[in-house]
Amino acid sequence: MDRDQPRSPARRHLLAGAAGLAAAAALPSGGQAQAQAQAQPPAPAEAPLLIPFEGVHQAGIATPQPYAGLVAAFDLLVESRGELRELFALLTDRARFLTQGGRPPELDPRFPPADSGILGPEIKPERLTVTVSVGASFFDERFGLGRLCPPELVAMPDFPNDALEAERCHGDLLLQLCAETPEETLHALRDIIKHTPDTLSLRWKQEGFASTHGQRRSKPIGAGRNLLGFKDGTANPDIADAAEMARIVWCDGPGWMAGGSYQVVRLIRNYVERWDRTPLGEQQAIFGRQRDSGAPLGRSDEFDDPAYADDPGGARIPLDAHIRLANPDGRRGLASPLIRRAFNYSNGATLSGQLDMGLLFICYQNSLRDGFVAVQQRLNGEPLEEYIKPFGGGYFFALPGVQGPDAILGDTLLREAGISALPTQKEG
Amino acid sequence: MSDFRFLSRALPAALLIAGALLAGPLAAKVAPGDLVAPIADYKIWVTQETQALRDKTQGFVDAIKAGDLARAKALYAPARVHYERIEPIAELFSDLDKSIDVRADDFEKKEADPAFSGFHRLEYGLFAKNSTEGLGPIADRLIADIRELEGRIKTLTVPPEKVVGGAAALIEEVAKTKISGEEDRYSRTDLWDFHANVEGARKIHELLRPLTTREAPKLVKRIDANFAKVDKLLESYAAPGGGFVSYEKVTQKHRNAMRGPVNALAEDLSKLRGTLGLD
Ligand code: HEM
Repeated sequence: MDRDQPRSPARRHLLAGAAGLAAAAALPSGGQAQAQAQAQPPAPAEAPLLIPFEGVHQAGIATPQPYAGLVAAFDLLVESRGELRELFALLTDRARFLTQGGRPPELDPRFPPADSGILGPEIKPERLTVTVSVGASFFDERFGLGRLCPPELVAMPDFPNDALEAERCHGDLLLQLCAETPEETLHALRDIIKHTPDTLSLRWKQEGFASTHGQRRSKPIGAGRNLLGFKDGTANPDIADAAEMARIVWCDGPGWMAGGSYQVVRLIRNYVERWDRTPLGEQQAIFGRQRDSGAPLGRSDEFDDPAYADDPGGARIPLDAHIRLANPDGRRGLASPLIRRAFNYSNGATLSGQLDMGLLFICYQNSLRDGFVAVQQRLNGEPLEEYIKPFGGGYFFALPGVQGPDAILGDTLLREAGISALPTQKEG
Repeated sequence: MSDFRFLSRALPAALLIAGALLAGPLAAKVAPGDLVAPIADYKIWVTQETQALRDKTQGFVDAIKAGDLARAKALYAPARVHYERIEPIAELFSDLDKSIDVRADDFEKKEADPAFSGFHRLEYGLFAKNSTEGLGPIADRLIADIRELEGRIKTLTVPPEKVVGGAAALIEEVAKTKISGEEDRYSRTDLWDFHANVEGARKIHELLRPLTTREAPKLVKRIDANFAKVDKLLESYAAPGGGFVSYEKVTQKHRNAMRGPVNALAEDLSKLRGTLGLD
């Protein structure tokens, strides 16, 4: 289902109503699809609730964003390469079950139950995805995988405006769980934690939500809003465009990495009280967009081109506006080859009685250097920094997809490392 | 059913927690009479531990009242361990448990709360304030509470499900506050308590071993293996004169490493009640 994603100007016209939304998911983008949709208003249909688990790529990356998102970073407790393989096999099985659904085993009530029960006796997923990635520390001396470390993968450095908290950064392994409801992501997290007591140790976690489901709020159509009140995601590349995703998101190697993607997670607090005391004109200048419509300043529609060529001096859109620094070219994802998949977060109050809320920023790209790092370096020193404070997150590499019923997460890596695919034992 | 297939295909022995879920017996075969002996043995052990608790605490209290700071500090952890070993039973008396073992976190005013009492209040005075001053009445109350506890335990009919469930409860304590270093924050003697909880859980596991081995031999093997892992980590922090070094000396890496066997023990020990057919 496509309604959660920003989309191109050509496509948005056919997405005016809920009925159109359902139809759009099934249609290719482009003029032909548009013509068909206009000629024949489709009947309302339920978008598919199950997101396929298998594929060249893991789900949860170039997948429309549902309402709830959660990331949890873990340290590995396994000690051998064999145990590592078993952990990946286990994660594969849990992810497959959780995303595709079914009935957890029923046990004698004198035993602890097999499942937390928070989704009821039967698991009926609603667009649940489980995306597994690994951090630079995964490739340290423990498993002798150093030579297979993705060439650009390092521990996330400290950027000038950052105030990183060690206990909210990095990790050997990261789970990104997304679904229509927060209880589904929590259910999946608890299931995986229950199955990995001696192999994964939780390091930090952050939950978030995408404000994309207030259909009436995001009118006419387009991206949902972040907690600063601005539409966020508008200029994202089109995830339905496979060629574009191949250019921007998916790695084609070296070796085992093909089909995977570099992932950046940033926990960024927003100083919302201060923001709410900032004149609207200044807010808009900081982003370079109008708050209400999401349109570039001086234009009228959310998906209008910012047309920087007409404005070389920054009279209309300041040269240090967020969107202009992030992508000075103005054309979608050209100077900023990454896709953003951010959620908002809200965590209670700070010691000084302010709200602790902000952005659970997630982005994917096939080069950290050309993607996140290049964009962040241009953003360093931007006026928005007065209102935001990055405090956690990390760099990770999202593993390639699981291809076939006998494949497991990370199998291309394990094979290249010479970790044999021993049949795992069955408990009698 | 598809989920069964996935579970059983991939679950390795070393990771096999879920395996026991699947392999869990549908009806337990342990007759109620089988539990009489282990429960009686447990009661004897608890009684001995309670006596040791009383004697050692008396020495601790005497040192405080004599104003002997160094001696009081040295006797703090060795007295407490006897309480930590029998926690599943001691906790049955929630009024005493609170006044003996409460932590400052449980009070809104933290250490400043006048109701803050017991071992940790004394620990706070001795280690954080570095003084025995004003601790006399708190020490008197502690030993009185412990004598009261001893009396109540004497007349207690030990509920089997509390004993069997106690093994898991002790390890849950470790998982919750011992690994994080929240328990003995002024004295940093957390490893003494950690070890005492583990000993308490192991005692129960050993007493039940003949029964559990019959019902779930693989579960028992896994529990043994994880106890051994915990022992090994704890041994590396043993102090030359007995007991353990300060928790500050435990590396973050080892704190993390301890979570593995501890969480696995918590999962596995949580199945003892079901394995023995106790409600
Ligand atoms: C709390 C922090 C941030 C906030 C509130 C924020 C907000 C926004 C908003 C409102 C837009 C305009 C709408 C859109 O195209 O999505 C935008 C665009 C963008 N942002 Fe951010 N952003 C934040 C952090 C970041 C970070 C850390 C990066 C990456 C390094 C980034 C990269 C981009 C890019 C590439 C665009 C699209 C620019 C274009 O092509 O026009 N943002 N952001």
